[in-house]
Amino acid sequence: MDASIVPAAFARIIRDMTTAPPLVDVPAFQRLDPRIATLWRVSTALNTLFWAAVVFGVIRFLSLPLPAWGIVGSLLAAGAAAILFYVPAKWCAWEFQVGDADVRLRHGVFWRTESVVPHVRIQHVDTAHGPVERGLGLASVIIYTAGTVGGALTIPGLALAEAEVLRDRLAALSGRDDAV
Amino acid sequence: MTQSDVEPRKDAAPGSDISPDGDGAPRRLHPLTLLFASLRLARQLILPAVIAAFSRAEGDPARIATWVIGVLAVPALVISTLRYMAFRYRLGSDELVIDSGVLRRQHRVIPLSRVQNIDLRESALQRVLGVVEMHVETAGTGRGAEGSLEVLGRDEAAALRTELLARRRAVREAARELAPAGEIGGAREGAEENAIRARTVDDQAAAPVQVLALLGTGRLAVAGATANEAGLIAAALAALFQFVDEAVIARYLPILTLAERIREATLFGTIWLIAVALASLLIIGWVLSIAGSVIGYHGFTLERVGGELRKRYGLFGRRHTTVPIERVQGIRVEESLLRRPFGLATIKIETAGGSPGERRRSGAEAFVPIVSVAEVAGLVRGVFGDLDLGAARIQRVHPRSRRRAFLRYGVLSVILFVLVIAVSVLRDLDPTPAVLWWIPVLLGAAWLLAAWQYRHRGYALLPGYALARSGVLNRITWIVPNWKIQTVHRTATPFQRRHGLSTLLIDTASGGRQGRVTDLGADVAEPMVEELALRARRTTGGW
Repeated sequence: MDASIVPAAFARIIRDMTTAPPLVDVPAFQRLDPRIATLWRVSTALNTLFWAAVVFGVIRFLSLPLPAWGIVGSLLAAGAAAILFYVPAKWCAWEFQVGDADVRLRHGVFWRTESVVPHVRIQHVDTAHGPVERGLGLASVIIYTAGTVGGALTIPGLALAEAEVLRDRLAALSGRDDAV
Repeated sequence: MTQSDVEPRKDAAPGSDISPDGDGAPRRLHPLTLLFASLRLARQLILPAVIAAFSRAEGDPARIATWVIGVLAVPALVISTLRYMAFRYRLGSDELVIDSGVLRRQHRVIPLSRVQNIDLRESALQRVLGVVEMHVETAGTGRGAEGSLEVLGRDEAAALRTELLARRRAVREAARELAPAGEIGGAREGAEENAIRARTVDDQAAAPVQVLALLGTGRLAVAGATANEAGLIAAALAALFQFVDEAVIARYLPILTLAERIREATLFGTIWLIAVALASLLIIGWVLSIAGSVIGYHGFTLERVGGELRKRYGLFGRRHTTVPIERVQGIRVEESLLRRPFGLATIKIETAGGSPGERRRSGAEAFVPIVSVAEVAGLVRGVFGDLDLGAARIQRVHPRSRRRAFLRYGVLSVILFVLVIAVSVLRDLDPTPAVLWWIPVLLGAAWLLAAWQYRHRGYALLPGYALARSGVLNRITWIVPNWKIQTVHRTATPFQRRHGLSTLLIDTASGGRQGRVTDLGADVAEPMVEELALRARRTTGGW
């Protein structure tokens, strides 16, 4: 667990939330760049503020018989809880591994998912970044396969240089074989 | 419009003469294309004409409609003529090239090695006129078939298809020779690769025609009769009202006074009338379903010719589909609630012809509309020659699956029960303590439902293939060949995690729903993910 991400006081609680045994025990799983947690925190905060303002506005504007401050307060509390607990847990739950034969992704705090993408099945690999991600020096790697459900798998929040290295490495690994 | 050429085609060779080697000259569609374009146009113009005719209060509706049709139809006819003139197709040695468009010219190149399936369709009218529509599908994500040639002469289409498939094989074999197995993929295993090659590379010219299925009218009638639940509901309704009629009326009518008797009889008469109307509607629907199946699938024939599956059917309109076996993403055996008691099933074949973005066009083709369960193994072997479905032992998922489902349905029914009680108390209905008996009844039903669901879930790992089964109302068994597995996913909801269960999803390039096994125990799911991932990377059949 990364101390910079998780306030020490909450570390134990978060560990308890994510103590579900790892789906498959393979070493050398990598974590996302810690800065992505900052981005998630900021976006959660902005989302919370936006919805709190909307709800407050609607209640006041339509003068609904509802406790406006109470509702807004609980919304803000939920947002704060998400920032304090959910975002670190989400960061902790996210891991990926580039093995000899396949790429594995694991994520999800409550709904856990593990995906295995054999290198030979990769069609092409992209890196992408939005304006905020770029500002933080982050990028996502998107892995495309011919599959229907796992047609595009995204690894978010990697340092830009790392993402580019990963993209080129995956592209080279997939290029060993022809998957026409 | 007549069948004769509208203008002499200078650059197009006649009918069935497609040069067997080298690049063919660009060719035009059959001149009857114009007729079908105008018919389509007429269909599209009916609605605006009707709207225009009735939207204005003054004026003769017929005259307005004529005007609207005239104003819209003349430029439309000109455009479709220009389109016809601009349309050219050419079968090269390794590609199908289609040039189209009047203002915005489109030059489409379809590499033959990417062709997923070829569909020939003819409506009743097209059949009378001796022309067909040809649709060439690739795995692309575009709307509709990638290469649509409408309309071609029947002989020309047949020759084109034969030539297209032959060149496609030649291209693929050349590609294999350039890149022999074992040199490209380090992780590949020679034996499995050879097995795939044996499956896909065939000497097509000498290939015998193997008839896999031939459905008679009786079979098709059964297929239509069991296609949906209308027939079942009609039968149940009829039986119910027969019972009500005899038991209730016969018992209660004599003890009532005459006035009561008349009132009750009137009420019963009304109910009866509604029931009869409903039942007859359902019976009509049922009969239509049977007729639709018998006519639509008339003369259903499925053949295997070398490395291709060929299917044709239809009484008035006919359809003829060719699917190269190496393009088969998987097979789905569907046993609906209505068909299971009779030991009947539908077999569907998945290709990547459909596109992931569109839900409507899933890749699944009704491969054989009706088949007895005993014949399924033989039919599947006709596609995947080395798969012995008869020997497959379907494994159950983890028994805790039942407990999880019971908890879900049990909690749901108790919540429902409490709600009903709460509402009745609020409305001063004062339920008697006897309603408490409903709790064990509801929980019993929840347990039965959970057990039923559990019984219909399963999986099997066979050499070369993976099987996944689920579904209570429509039980689906997916058969996924190793070389079509794209990615493997394992998910667990919070409720599954409480029981140490997870769901496995086997992703392929087919358009429809993917094969999944719900509620596997951790001891099975973990090695299974590894096994499927290993299978996926050891085989490169492509997609």
